[in-house]
Amino acid sequence: MANESEKNPGILLFGAAVLVGFGILGTVILPYFDESVTTPTPTAELKNYPTDSAEARGRHVYIREGCIWCHTQQVRPVKADSKLGPVSVPGDYYYDKPVIMMTQRTGPDLTWVGQRYSADWQHAHLLNPQKIAGASSIMPKYDYLTEQDRNDLVAYLLSLKPAPKENKGGK
Amino acid sequence: MAHSASSPVPYSLPKSSGTVKIFFYTSFFWLLLSMILGLIVALKAINPEFLTGNRFLQEVFTYGRLRPAHTNTALIGWLTGVFFGVIHYGIPALCKTELYSEKLGRFTATLWNLNYAIGAGSILAGYQTGVEYAELPLLFDAIIVVIVALIFFNLIRTVAARKERVLYVSLWYWIGSVLFLAIVYIVGNIPAEWIGTGGAQMNYYYFYLHNIIGLWFTVVGVGTIYYLLPKLTQRPLYSHKLSLIGFWFIVAFYSWNGPHHLINGPIPLWLMKAGIIPSLLLLIPVWSVLANLIGTMKGVWYKVSQNVSLKFMITGALFYGLSCIQGPFQSLMGPHAILHFSYWTVGHAHMPLFGGFSLVAFAAVYYIMPRVVHRHIYSRALMNWHYWLSVLGFLLFGFAMWTAGIIQGFEWMDGKQLGASFLQVMESLHIYLIARSLGGSAMFLGQIAFAWNMYKTVRAGQPIAADDEMFLTR
Repeated sequence: MANESEKNPGILLFGAAVLVGFGILGTVILPYFDESVTTPTPTAELKNYPTDSAEARGRHVYIREGCIWCHTQQVRPVKADSKLGPVSVPGDYYYDKPVIMMTQRTGPDLTWVGQRYSADWQHAHLLNPQKIAGASSIMPKYDYLTEQDRNDLVAYLLSLKPAPKENKGGK
Repeated sequence: MAHSASSPVPYSLPKSSGTVKIFFYTSFFWLLLSMILGLIVALKAINPEFLTGNRFLQEVFTYGRLRPAHTNTALIGWLTGVFFGVIHYGIPALCKTELYSEKLGRFTATLWNLNYAIGAGSILAGYQTGVEYAELPLLFDAIIVVIVALIFFNLIRTVAARKERVLYVSLWYWIGSVLFLAIVYIVGNIPAEWIGTGGAQMNYYYFYLHNIIGLWFTVVGVGTIYYLLPKLTQRPLYSHKLSLIGFWFIVAFYSWNGPHHLINGPIPLWLMKAGIIPSLLLLIPVWSVLANLIGTMKGVWYKVSQNVSLKFMITGALFYGLSCIQGPFQSLMGPHAILHFSYWTVGHAHMPLFGGFSLVAFAAVYYIMPRVVHRHIYSRALMNWHYWLSVLGFLLFGFAMWTAGIIQGFEWMDGKQLGASFLQVMESLHIYLIARSLGGSAMFLGQIAFAWNMYKTVRAGQPIAADDEMFLTR
């Protein structure tokens, strides 16, 4: 039954690695050649935070505390996302390091949360979500964050807005 | 090439591998820990005040840090660890030789666990990277790649020194899986700064997210199914050719699946198509596994009722099959638009990893443990408790999540996407989150039965005589 090539682990590994390589080439490398992936949008420019700005530090807090596990940052052109604002395009994420669109929407999508609530609301909500949003909210209280961290986090959340239309890079 | 005297020297206990023992025992610990972490996460989703007694708990055990600690402990600590144990036993067995270097094996096994223990601590301490399943900081990633390379070296040298020329199909899957683990892990853990634009990063991350399951756990798990199947049924494999067809299909198409996690998302349309079509083609390899299984089982199905290990393996293969029907279905644009981002995903993610390959791993552990510690499994009753609590617990867990996900998806389509109306949906899901915790608790109880059984096996299992025929088959 077995032929000679089946006795050779070298052929097997080489062939398998080549086939997996094709997949990487097609789905990981090839997108570099697509303009929509490699061109930043005006929205991306808004989210290109200077190093050590409040927004950049806030984004770090957002990842560190794992906000990403319940909040997506991706609006799709589907009915379930119809009220969430402008649809996300690849170029919106140009400067994100790392990209945090994520996979779970246990809480609402935050792609454009900056245009929905004020700084005061965000502070009060982070300190006590059940009091501000409603008793059935299952978001943890972030009253353990330092004042600095909370300020940074709110600055980051408020920065999540679409760029004004037909206007490169804001006003 | 005929090799007649294949049995080891009779009347002396076969050598037992310290490497396998370290991987097994530590993986049992991680299994229990991942269950505890998962349960805390589930309880926090019911009551966010759970375990927030003081500032330290509030910060270190916050939902957003516990969740990645749970997934990593399950994936890296438990499932990867236990499969490393399985292949460090199985590869020498199929090659009719010993592991190339036990010393290197014990070293890699120890380092693997130390590395992960500190890595898990770093996630809880606030150093997660923000990339799903790749949350460990770069230092730990680098060490993981080095360990996998050393393991690959050790195993490939074992294969090179084999006394059985023909490579049984499990060897294909197992050697391949370690190579894929290295490739996939490297691609998924390249720091964002080196990759460049966010639009490119997502392709790395979703390639990784999918293929750590598809090219590592699936491949090593299917190899384990093919290893155990003839042994547990005492029947030859139904079709050697079919198993090879399955191998090449997995290898050729799994690696294309990353983009199907971004259907309707911010990627070019051609990339979505490049992800969806191979997803559908995956029905071929999974069917090749199931067809082989059914073919081999023909006439010996009654053995499932006698052999708990076989029961675990068949159930695991069934859940693997169901995951691979669910997966392509979810990757279609319509269902994806409804189910993505919802609790459905949580149910789906647990099906191959717990229902599928963890059950296969349990079957393997029950088969291998007596041959490594030279004692019979302590309690068959505990094995059955382990089985039923795991399977029924998972079914409750899974159906709670799938139902909750469907509700979420349709409510969002009704416009309840923000603010008070979003919260209203959340309220209606409360009961399903409770059901999930109940299912999860049953799963946890099952694993306690398992761990206790393993402990007692090592300590007080009935010793197996050196001339027992069990040792004639590895």
